[in-house]
Amino acid sequence: MKRRGRGIACMWYPIGFTVAANPSAAVVKVNEDGTATVLTGTVETGQGALTVLGQIAAEELGVAAADVHVVSGDTDATPMDTGAIASRTTYVTGNAIQMAAAEAKKILFEVAAPMLGVRPEQLEARDRRIQVIGFPQKNLPIGEVANHAQVVMGRPPLGSASYNPPTVAMDPETGQGKPFSTYVYAAQVAEVEVDDETGEVEVLRIVAAHDCGTPINPTLVEGQVEGGISMGIGLALQEEILFDDEGRQINPNLTNYIMPTSLDMPEIEVDIVKNYDPTGPFGAKGVGEPTSVPTAAAIANAIFDAVGVRIHSLPATSEKVLMGLREKQKAEQKRIPAE
Amino acid sequence: MVIKVEDTLRTDRLTDLKEAGDSAGVPAVARERGRAPQIVPDANQQTPAVGQRVTRPDSRPHITGQTRYIDDMSFPNMLHMKILRSEYAHARIVNIDVSEAEKMPGVVATLTGKEIPVNSFGPSYQDQPVLADDKVRHMGDGVVAVAAETEQQAQDALARIKVDYEKLPLVLDPLEAMKEDSPKIHGESNIYATKVIRKGDVEQALARADLVMEARFSTQMVEHVPMEPHATIAMWEPDGRIKILSSLGRITLGRADMARTLDMPVNRIQVVGTIVGGNFGGKNEITTEPVLALLARKTGRPVKGVFTRKDEFVSSTTRHPFIMDYKTGVMKDGRIVARKVRIVADGGAYCSWSETTLGKGAILSVGPYRIDNLEVKAYAVYTNKTTCGAMRGFGAPQVCFGYESHMDDIARELGIDPLEIRLRNVFDEGSPSPTGQVLHSVAVRESLDTVADRVGWKEQTQ
Amino acid sequence: MDVTITVNGKERSAAVPPETTLLTMLRTNLGLTGAKLGCDVGDCGACTVLVDGEPVNACLMLAAQVDGREVVTIEGLSGFQTLSPLQEMFDLFSSFQCGFCAPGMIISAKALLDKNSSPTVAEVREALAGNLCRCTGYTKIIDAVMEVGARTAAGAERA
Repeated sequence: MKRRGRGIACMWYPIGFTVAANPSAAVVKVNEDGTATVLTGTVETGQGALTVLGQIAAEELGVAAADVHVVSGDTDATPMDTGAIASRTTYVTGNAIQMAAAEAKKILFEVAAPMLGVRPEQLEARDRRIQVIGFPQKNLPIGEVANHAQVVMGRPPLGSASYNPPTVAMDPETGQGKPFSTYVYAAQVAEVEVDDETGEVEVLRIVAAHDCGTPINPTLVEGQVEGGISMGIGLALQEEILFDDEGRQINPNLTNYIMPTSLDMPEIEVDIVKNYDPTGPFGAKGVGEPTSVPTAAAIANAIFDAVGVRIHSLPATSEKVLMGLREKQKAEQKRIPAE
Repeated sequence: MVIKVEDTLRTDRLTDLKEAGDSAGVPAVARERGRAPQIVPDANQQTPAVGQRVTRPDSRPHITGQTRYIDDMSFPNMLHMKILRSEYAHARIVNIDVSEAEKMPGVVATLTGKEIPVNSFGPSYQDQPVLADDKVRHMGDGVVAVAAETEQQAQDALARIKVDYEKLPLVLDPLEAMKEDSPKIHGESNIYATKVIRKGDVEQALARADLVMEARFSTQMVEHVPMEPHATIAMWEPDGRIKILSSLGRITLGRADMARTLDMPVNRIQVVGTIVGGNFGGKNEITTEPVLALLARKTGRPVKGVFTRKDEFVSSTTRHPFIMDYKTGVMKDGRIVARKVRIVADGGAYCSWSETTLGKGAILSVGPYRIDNLEVKAYAVYTNKTTCGAMRGFGAPQVCFGYESHMDDIARELGIDPLEIRLRNVFDEGSPSPTGQVLHSVAVRESLDTVADRVGWKEQTQ
Repeated sequence: MDVTITVNGKERSAAVPPETTLLTMLRTNLGLTGAKLGCDVGDCGACTVLVDGEPVNACLMLAAQVDGREVVTIEGLSGFQTLSPLQEMFDLFSSFQCGFCAPGMIISAKALLDKNSSPTVAEVREALAGNLCRCTGYTKIIDAVMEVGARTAAGAERA
């Protein structure tokens, strides 16, 4: 018989390295037509980092994402970066890029100010224009300012910056300290169906609410949540590297190492929790790793809700669920007093 | 009437973002049941840029098959490398004989660990050899590399390499490996990292609690399974600098590792991180880059090395299995007053990212809960299995499985709803973390409320 | 031995050792690197191409078996600056992340849509079951295929 259950799990996860310095440096160049080029030492591993970093630079410069080109991943040509790891790219590299863009923008404002007859601090960059705060009718296209800066004033609008999250070392005896600058939070609910004759678990639905500060690109955040959940389902129910007594892996291949296919994925609903972190670029934090954190726990709790079996070791294979069911049955039979 | 400049200022964009919602241009985000997912065809041209559903600028190459991953690249005169891996999980290397292999058709050069200038690397301790030279500690340890004209020729040559081993007793279980009399994998002890977090008086608090519950939870070794196997091409430039094209996810540190292992100045090395076909943590340290560089130097030709899928499993890093013992003291109303956690992290044969995993795991292990009295003790232990390293979450998925399963057990015992017991204990803005840090931008409560609303949790429990 | 196949509408030939797989011939001899090597044993689907209209794992077919037949690879789906409707949707939905599985995934999806222009979600999941993706969780991939199906159906209704 199939029994349904649901389980909830919440989590917290840090951004950046534990205490240790993990800086990122960035260079932002505004070209003569107002488009921009960003240099970053990070590497695109599929998460869409370059897209997000481009959006951060664009926001600072008041242009659209399409106006920014991001160059990455060459130790000769791009500045140092600690890497796409620890969910740090949006926050640490993003901050460096925002600061570098602000430096370039400063030059644009200094050049534009006399052209507009105001002081640099009266200016803002918005909608591809350099305009006067409170009187946007007085403006110049960013391209005109950038061209004037480089070609007439001899001041190419270029900025560079680096950022490292502020931490406090942890006491070696008590661990007290400030190991990370910020954290993200999330919760997931899993709805499952357990076959109490075979022990098989089917995940029907996962509902996820993830905090990432400001979502720079909601589509890419969703992509991380959906992908992270698939890893979480694999961890919960399927994946395991097995060894024999000699220390040899028994299943070093994709035939016998079971991981989620399109058939294993449930309906997924994603909410991005409204939040804003003043220490992050435009309030953003990060999301790459947190997404796979609560899924296995939510599924384990859903199994518990469905059939009363508490899984103590992952993966929750059908054998383990069946064994749990049999133990539960035995325990219940013992409680029934003999007639 | 005097109009001050400040009065006419537009609403600051940052204020808009703080109050984020449709009005600020950051669209309300939800992937909902029965509603088509959102797409915005002209998002890339919209200002302001933050919050837009921008399509990726690298989209076209990916969806047209034009993206050049490392294995799609080829250079004139390029050789292919394969690696012979250890036959045993723990053994001393007595002798390596490559003479037969070097005579095989197409073979141009071989490389062993002894030829590597500084044969050790690692993000915390440099306890891992690039190619094992005196000892092998797991079956994924590379021992000899062969460069040949074709991949098949390199693969065929591996069978002709003769390695004499002296088997050593092995240990596969981390709890066994912690014992005094266990076979030792490195140095004097198999426990190579310890983390302790302490706050308040956990024993006293446990004694005062209305209920104390204990349980052990454990998780398994899993692999990143990036769809793209590790791949690297090495070539020497005419000016004597080495150029590495690699699937590495962090090239600054990769360059530093190259400088160390090859004993070269940093600015004589160029590492180009190309498009990577998935990382998830497994491509965060060097693997064969120094080997390829040395083979390229030996042969005077570019050399490419690509992991087989089997190499991915046996040689690249994996997720640490955790054994977690939880002991929690709660009051009848569900408030957690004390929590003790002991974690044993199975680190496999080398340290890799274990320090980070253990540290994060320890800090996160009490859960996102306000607990004044706590003690966490965490240990990383060597075993003769595949090296465990960085994998998406660094210990967080493991400990979350522990603390959240435990939480539902506690809820069941006290007769309190699982959502309710969490809401009674979670962090709020300004709460102190287990390490005494004042937390900001906290959103656990909001996350729980959001999912609860979506599934109608409260309605169904009534 | 000489093998001749029609790839993306053009006749291509190469001299290859008899044990050469179709995948190796495409990637190494014909310079078509869209189909990827993920496992080499037919488990992951990254090498999926169409042979006479059917999706196959190119790593499991010998080049010799495809002699005289028609092959379609990812490179055959788009023009220089144009995308097929399926690829347009992949772009709009961001139905890929690292992109490595995308060529094989798109070919499998195309094979489905060629036979069943407006599939159900279950049918899409079934059709893509042999294409592993580690990044996306398959969700946005299915969204893109369903959107193509929905637009085709809407177009058919209007016609």
